[in-house]
Amino acid sequence: MNAVDLEFRSVTKRYGQTTVVDALSLKVPAGKICVLVGPSGCGKTTSLKMVNRLIEPTSGEILIGDRDVKSQDPIELRRGIGYVIQQVGLLPHLTVADNIAVVPRLLGWDAARVRQRADELLALVGLDVARYRDRYPAQLSGGERQRIGVARALAADPPLLLMDEPFGAVDPIVRERLQNELLRLQERLAKTIVFVTHDIDEAIKMGDLVAVLKAGGVLAQFGPPAEILANPASDFVARFVGADRGLKRLSLRRVGDIEWLPVATAKPGDDAATAWARIGSDPFPYLLLVDENDRPIGWLDRQRLPQNGTLTEELVVSQSPLLTRRTTLKDALSQMLGADVMAGIVIDENERAVGLVTLEQIVAALREAS
Amino acid sequence: MELTGDAAWLVDHLDELAYRTFQHLLLATIAVAVGLALSFPLAIVAVRRRATYAPILAVSDLLYTIPSLAVFAALVSVTGISLLTVEIPLVMYTLVIFVRNIAAGFDSVPGDVLEAANGLGYTSAQRLWRVEVPLAVPLIMAGLRLAAVSTIGLVTITSILGDGFGGLGFFILEGYRRSFPLELYFGAIPSILLAFAVDAALVRVQRAITPWARTQAEVA
Repeated sequence: MNAVDLEFRSVTKRYGQTTVVDALSLKVPAGKICVLVGPSGCGKTTSLKMVNRLIEPTSGEILIGDRDVKSQDPIELRRGIGYVIQQVGLLPHLTVADNIAVVPRLLGWDAARVRQRADELLALVGLDVARYRDRYPAQLSGGERQRIGVARALAADPPLLLMDEPFGAVDPIVRERLQNELLRLQERLAKTIVFVTHDIDEAIKMGDLVAVLKAGGVLAQFGPPAEILANPASDFVARFVGADRGLKRLSLRRVGDIEWLPVATAKPGDDAATAWARIGSDPFPYLLLVDENDRPIGWLDRQRLPQNGTLTEELVVSQSPLLTRRTTLKDALSQMLGADVMAGIVIDENERAVGLVTLEQIVAALREAS
Repeated sequence: MELTGDAAWLVDHLDELAYRTFQHLLLATIAVAVGLALSFPLAIVAVRRRATYAPILAVSDLLYTIPSLAVFAALVSVTGISLLTVEIPLVMYTLVIFVRNIAAGFDSVPGDVLEAANGLGYTSAQRLWRVEVPLAVPLIMAGLRLAAVSTIGLVTITSILGDGFGGLGFFILEGYRRSFPLELYFGAIPSILLAFAVDAALVRVQRAITPWARTQAEVA
């Protein structure tokens, strides 16, 4: 199954006198990622858990496809929905493969199919099957655990995924990688995903649609991230998305959306004279050394290039961050600033250097955005 | 060579040693098995219904404080000199160990694991047997070791109920009555060794059934 529509119809949750979710209505079209974002106490996790009936609403309806979740057996319902939580909740006594196989086994799949599916999913989330299949959760890093958590949620190919701060417990570098992986996966899988976070940057990056919630479970604004950044519906939303809205909009544009500069390359063993011919008069005094597969090795500087002889890797003076078409301009900017360089190298699927993006270009994009 | 004195006595009694060791293990095994079977549902009730937790533990604690000799003596007037009279006190003393350890085992299951199990669609029975019980095993096994060792110790006291019981305690009591230290040690030393051996065997069982619990140190 591929994906289904999800709709909240005036869903309210009260505990005694306290309203946690207040008449929430929103519609997530099939195959889209909807991020619920807001400060703590805004009811985002409660809203998520009402979808798979871990929490029952006080009133209102939640429809998956055109079926009200209330009309379905909660156990059956949950087996048909992928679920990922912040602390992952891998079962410590089961191997990685058995963890991924939990829902298929609950659904009564035969052993051969279960095993095949577990291997498939390990590969899908980028983990080596032979190396990871028989490990226990305690033998994994935080990032690996989180990948297994995603694989487990996808095991029975559910049309809908619920993700509750799935990347909240890993460090920022791993988080960014996991976010990118999920987005890449989603291009292929096109599931309907409800994603909860308190981090507005993550919401903007991950969401096709973003629902900003405020205390008491009131929906403050619902729409595509660009619209929320451009036209915050209230002071609350404006404050929540922050004063750096222009900068945040950089994360809505990707390296693939702007035009790259060409990059002059040379290979180890090339004649220095040829290299001179290529950059001798160029205002940009660098030449990118690449290996035989055109993969970047590092920069050669005109000032330190010999007049003759052959080029070697020892002549490399600096590196640049490697960007892909999918890298957001915001990530590209932070990587360049982090590495203290003026440009990043764009590489394709085969890691070949195909272009150059400079700080100047990103600043220009920033100006367009604000 | 003709054996004389102590050596001859030892050789003559090897068969009886084997029989008494077997009896000792049998009496202890029955008590531990019944104790475990009774404690399991009690611990589950205590954990599931928090209000019952304190009362259940209080009762099992109270049972533990009753002196064993007094229980044996009191029971004789009810159940006579029988296996029941032997086993009731032995079972009683395992309860406090098992109930505490099993309850602690269930409490040790991380909340995120339970939440994930619910979200994945385990029924509550499936969650109990496939998630909670396996994860409680390390603490249940710790309780089992403690109960086994303490029961093996207590079995020796059942020798006061006559020659038909007591396991290796038979030699201890008889050796004491006859002021024959060799016989006393003939019972005491094997019963200590038996406790060590059973404990070591249970450690091996635990390692074999919880391969996941010893991987923490091996993180690549």
